[in-house]
Amino acid sequence: MTSSAVSQFASVRLVAPAFLLAAVLAAEPVAVRIAADASSGSTRLVLTFAKPLACTTMEAAGKLRIACPEPIAPDAPSRTLDDPILSGWSAEGDRTLVLALGPGYRRADTFELSNPPRLVLDLQGDRAGSTSRGPSAPTVAQPVIVLDPGHGGVETGAIGSSGLEEKDVTLDIARRLKPLLEKHGVTVVLTRDEDRVLPLDDRTAIANQNRAELFVSIHVNASKRKSALGAETYFLSTDATDDEARTLAALENKAYAPQQVATPASGGPDRGLELILWDLAQNSYLAESSRLAERVQHEMNTLAGTKDRGVRQAPFRVLMGATMPAILVEAAFISNPAEESRLKDAAAKDKIAEAIARAIVEYRTQ
Amino acid sequence: MSLRALLAAAALALAGCAGSPPAAPEGGSKAPAAPAAAAPVDPSSPKTEITLYFPSATEDKLVTETREIVDTARPAERGTQVLVALLSGPQGEGALPAVPEGTTLRQLWIGKSGTAWADFSPELSDGLVGGSDDELLTLYAIVNSLAANVPQIKRVGLLVGGRERDTLGGHVDVRRPLPPRPEL
Repeated sequence: MTSSAVSQFASVRLVAPAFLLAAVLAAEPVAVRIAADASSGSTRLVLTFAKPLACTTMEAAGKLRIACPEPIAPDAPSRTLDDPILSGWSAEGDRTLVLALGPGYRRADTFELSNPPRLVLDLQGDRAGSTSRGPSAPTVAQPVIVLDPGHGGVETGAIGSSGLEEKDVTLDIARRLKPLLEKHGVTVVLTRDEDRVLPLDDRTAIANQNRAELFVSIHVNASKRKSALGAETYFLSTDATDDEARTLAALENKAYAPQQVATPASGGPDRGLELILWDLAQNSYLAESSRLAERVQHEMNTLAGTKDRGVRQAPFRVLMGATMPAILVEAAFISNPAEESRLKDAAAKDKIAEAIARAIVEYRTQ
Repeated sequence: MSLRALLAAAALALAGCAGSPPAAPEGGSKAPAAPAAAAPVDPSSPKTEITLYFPSATEDKLVTETREIVDTARPAERGTQVLVALLSGPQGEGALPAVPEGTTLRQLWIGKSGTAWADFSPELSDGLVGGSDDELLTLYAIVNSLAANVPQIKRVGLLVGGRERDTLGGHVDVRRPLPPRPEL
């Protein structure tokens, strides 16, 4: 089990409500929804809890036990899977779920997510005829850089006038960028290496989970102004995280939205506290994020030859909570017909990837 | 109902809607303070000029247009008139609509400490399918217009269909109120 920055931060908000509610709710089982996905290299098991619960995991003798401090009510108390990594699971007593690990199982990476509270287990291993791939924690001690191709799946992102979709362009650029960085002795993890929906929280969580050195989210822009063109690089804005706004947000979430206190979207009574903690996480890296953004923007201007829109700051959701320098690159405007054509051209996309790669290499050697 | 029963009911409700959006906060006995448009503004009252922010038709920034609204001392009424005027679109050639077509204002509240909560119809997020450029300009057209014309408003929180959202179009964090950005 990997203890990550995610769980360290999450535990602050997990402990308080669980403790306060325990006395009143001791006998009411906590509803748990279980979803297993064995469609990629690893098997991912997601437990979604009706309220935050600090469950622990322990592996022994081909079983992985998930023990919770309160009674739980899983929607599927037992299941058998046709999967060499995870054979199935069953309930043991009213607080424990036991996973039966298959012959292909190697190890589990565990992390927590909030809104709604989730425990995610990435079971790594080998399947006959396939090798493990996808966003997994590397086993070698190389520095890790996480690349985040924006959007995915039904969430297409912006669409150009000829039908080119942002999600495909961002993945294409990330795949071109990966080998360029790997030549410099870093491990590159893509938050998604296929066309699928990936929540914004999970993208940052993958970077934190991998203890990444850098987080680079790749996007292309769009505007109602067809003339808009060029590249820009963002890092998190400080005005979105000013102390006063944070504190007031925390207070007013309680004062003005009492009905929402226990809903998944608002994340429970400590949502304000959680937001403050996450803001602080990225706030510690703003100076480095700014320096990385400057380098990337400089290389985009010179190497990729795009119109300079400069380094900018905005409260981008995907950058919040990253516990490392984090930037978002808007490589071009897909809404501009000329730039859309460039984004279909392999050589132009190589240039964008080379510019970002060179900037990252320069940043790391400074 | 006892506290225990209430908590149990909340837990059950949560279990039922895990993975789907939460119920909209209905205006119950603890409805937010200062509901907007509580009383219709008297059209015979004196007029006052306001400044609205719209995305520029040519540049990556906001441009201003002026309008007249009915002068009222009540911040929520004033703010509601500002948003209604903003939503009805620009009049000059140099500006683009601030919000996707069909977007309506559901309600505006103003809290004690300078935070306004503006609740819009789903078109606001459903229609924002483009890039971060459009999303930022839409967001700050709303925030800047409110903050520039209602002195009591220091920052603006956005709701869609009565619900909190992470983002409007996949980019900018709107989980908490945003201060205006006059430089845009």
